[in-house]
Amino acid sequence: MRAKRLVVAATAAALFTTGLVVATAPAQAAGKIDYCTVQNLTEAGGMDALVTAAKKEGTLNVITLASGWANYDEAIALFKKAFGIKIVNDNPDGSSAYELQTIKTAPAAKQPDVVDIGATHLGAEASDTLGRSLFTPYKVATWNDITPTWKDTNGLWYGDYQGTINIAYDSSVTPAPTKISDLANPAYKGMVALGGDPSAATESFMSVFAASIAKGGSVDDIKPGIEFFRSLKQSGNFVTVPATGANLATGAFKIALSWSFNGPGFIAAAKGIGKDLKYVTPKDVVLKGSPYIQAINAKAPHCAAARLWEEFLFSENKGKFSKDLTSADIKQSGSKVFATIMGGQNIFNSGAAHPITEAAMIKKGTLIAPPAGFEIPAGVKVYSPTLDQQIPQQAVVKTMWPSVIQ
Amino acid sequence: MTNSYVSSKGVSRKGGTFARRNLIIAAPLLPLLAYLTFFFFWPMFAVVVDSLKNNDHQWSLINFTTIAQKPYSTAFKNSILLGALSALFASIPGALFAYIIEVRGSEKLKGFINSLSGVLANTGGVPLAFMFIATFGAQGSAIKILKSLGIDLYSGGFTLFSFTGIVFVYLYFQIPLMVIIFSPALHSIRNEWRDAAKNLGATPRKFWTTIGVPLLFPSFAASFLLLFASGFAAYATARAMTVGNIALVPLVIGTLVDGNVQVNQANVGKSLAVGMVLISALAMIPYLIIQRRARRWQQ
Amino acid sequence: MAAMKKRIDLALFTALGLAGIFILLPFGSSAEFSFREYSTDGKLLHSFAPYRWIIEQPEFLSHLLLSFKLAFIAVLFTAILVVPSVAWLHLKAQSFRPIVEIVTLLPLVIPVVALSIGVQAAFPDWLQSTEYELPLMYVVLSLPFTFRILDNGLQAIPLKTISEASRGLGANWPKTIFYVIAPVMRTAVAGAFFLTFALSLGEFTLTSLLHWDTFPTWVTSVSQQNIIGAIALSVFSLAVAFLILLLVGLFSSRSKKRTEVAE
Repeated sequence: MRAKRLVVAATAAALFTTGLVVATAPAQAAGKIDYCTVQNLTEAGGMDALVTAAKKEGTLNVITLASGWANYDEAIALFKKAFGIKIVNDNPDGSSAYELQTIKTAPAAKQPDVVDIGATHLGAEASDTLGRSLFTPYKVATWNDITPTWKDTNGLWYGDYQGTINIAYDSSVTPAPTKISDLANPAYKGMVALGGDPSAATESFMSVFAASIAKGGSVDDIKPGIEFFRSLKQSGNFVTVPATGANLATGAFKIALSWSFNGPGFIAAAKGIGKDLKYVTPKDVVLKGSPYIQAINAKAPHCAAARLWEEFLFSENKGKFSKDLTSADIKQSGSKVFATIMGGQNIFNSGAAHPITEAAMIKKGTLIAPPAGFEIPAGVKVYSPTLDQQIPQQAVVKTMWPSVIQ
Repeated sequence: MTNSYVSSKGVSRKGGTFARRNLIIAAPLLPLLAYLTFFFFWPMFAVVVDSLKNNDHQWSLINFTTIAQKPYSTAFKNSILLGALSALFASIPGALFAYIIEVRGSEKLKGFINSLSGVLANTGGVPLAFMFIATFGAQGSAIKILKSLGIDLYSGGFTLFSFTGIVFVYLYFQIPLMVIIFSPALHSIRNEWRDAAKNLGATPRKFWTTIGVPLLFPSFAASFLLLFASGFAAYATARAMTVGNIALVPLVIGTLVDGNVQVNQANVGKSLAVGMVLISALAMIPYLIIQRRARRWQQ
Repeated sequence: MAAMKKRIDLALFTALGLAGIFILLPFGSSAEFSFREYSTDGKLLHSFAPYRWIIEQPEFLSHLLLSFKLAFIAVLFTAILVVPSVAWLHLKAQSFRPIVEIVTLLPLVIPVVALSIGVQAAFPDWLQSTEYELPLMYVVLSLPFTFRILDNGLQAIPLKTISEASRGLGANWPKTIFYVIAPVMRTAVAGAFFLTFALSLGEFTLTSLLHWDTFPTWVTSVSQQNIIGAIALSVFSLAVAFLILLLVGLFSSRSKKRTEVAE
């Protein structure tokens, strides 16, 4: 009898509390914006509101943002310092395929908010089993400055930066390589490496593409590149180790093909192990890769932070880097802080990447000076395979590469 | 030491029916079993179920027919070879070392070696790969030492990033594993037997050929099989040492987990995993038969 | 007799010597690397700078403590789940030993990659959003080893006999467990705990495939910026394992001496 009364009392209390919460929630939520459906800065209620909402979420989940890659270290540090938002970076050395696979298989708490993928991974791979896009649309403030070819009309995805394939080499290597075709030189036995697996990593795929054009192929034919690496493997020049810092330190490789925007970071890291690393644009072929693609995950756990991050990455602002940011700067209102800090597009530029809004920024005069030594030589033909050209060649590499390295 | 295997299946009608008695005996083991069921069998079951489904989520054996062909069959061949070779080159030194420690070592040394083997058997991945690259890589310390002695391994085409290289690196954890697994078998060579054989006039060699080796061989074979399974399934070290140039099943599964699937082969990774379990099971069955027979001698 | 003694010493000495080289050469080479420091003009010095760098990293302590916490929980679960089960197996349920042995071998032969696929597919979302799913899996991964260590340790002891003797002398079960069974299992249990701890501290594959960030994954992510620092970290982890090993070894031998004296 007493137990029964207790149960009734407990149920009543529970119902009352729930009722209280439900009653007050709408009052708090009156005029509240659902940031998971916001598609641009206006809908977000302006920069101040967006920053406040993002700070409330407190965390941003990013994925596979490698250290030393297009100066993401600075972007992350600056974002963290300016807005006090924690950034969780899942598997920094992972591939674009890993990013999309994570969206498809990871539990809710481990979903990335934003992705930065190679362009060939758009399409079927970027859709779920029912054919719906994995992304949610959002058009940043600088949307009109993004090259039309590299953005989805609905705002589902948008290119952010691109680079050229450079030759990275330890300065102790003689003779210093200047062309991709030089890599067949017997003096380079046991020295040449790629960033990773060309059938999975865009950088390695583009390296093979560049080799192909250097050896008489074209943007529609990657086979000469595959055959070039096959011959390098047979002569012993090509070592199948990833071009990581640890492998450089132990001398496992001395020459690699790499994105120009990996240069500044890698050179700095190499100094730490006493190596003088050099990056040069190859004289025989300048391959400008298609831009990497930014997108917001439809299942993003931190919607406002995700959108703030995108606004940040596409900001063309000429402002302060993280080391120059003062606590007085941070205390300002959200939109003022945003205006004080260096925009993401300029941060990419400082990392020797070509920001997607480069043309517009040059016109407006907001582009900062890129690091020395990474300029594309004037008057050189620049090859830029389109997506339609890349995708079939990607399939060719997937089929043929295993036989090259066995 | 009574052989409870016989007695518990035998007479005792004390605690009620046979089944009920077995249940009482088994009851305290249920927590462990429940734990394993939830945290191990259930995930594995999910893998098995998915491996039998094709891209359209219907029951199908297509994943298994796929893995029977190239390039997956090559991966299986390589993995089996890697397991077998690393087991072969680890089991003999491991057994010899375990024997010497067991017979000539003090109790303290035995305990220390056992614990040390526990630590070393768990090394792997990037730290282990780095240790070997720093030692046997092109600029490695051992290579430099050998060069100063006039031996240049690398001129002969040796490289750490080859199949041979990986087998070599695997020895670092396979040999300690052998020590852990094989040592108990050595307890069974009682010193009394050796002394008795000596008193009967047998030379150490005769003791070994007629008693020692035949006695130890089953345990040795069993340990070998376990080492095979370990080398077959190892992932982190292989990943650190290669970048896809050597096809190994755990690595292929890893690439597929990372998302690099062919469009029409969504569940191939899971069928590869099931394939691995089947092969390991094939190695485990002789292991268990041998162990059962050997245990009688050990008691 | 003297000649035989010499032969014994030589064999042991050679074995230990070879083992020492085999173990220490790779470890020593990377250890040497970990003390390297390059001056701005590229000269090679040796110093503790990489280790100082490690300790200065704000994320070093948080990740290390996280891994310690997870390792400790894994040991706890081993203590609660595995140790009593193996003891019971030897005491009363010896007929089940073959089956249990098979079952405990399975985590060794199944690739961790496959297990991670299964975990992501099977576990409910609430379980996958807490880092405590990791120590639960570490217990499974270390089971092949811990079972064997405990099993071997107990095989050398006539457990049934001494516990029956204890009961016969009038002690109840708790007293028997505490004063008779526990002491004789001490070394084996210490070994099992130690192994679980070492495995949990160094477990990388499952942790990273399940998108968690513990000490080993942090070391890998940090390696691209500061290679020597990362090498110093892995040397550090292994050295810590060795250190704990020595301590455990000292502890167990001291207690052994005590029991030997008591006899």
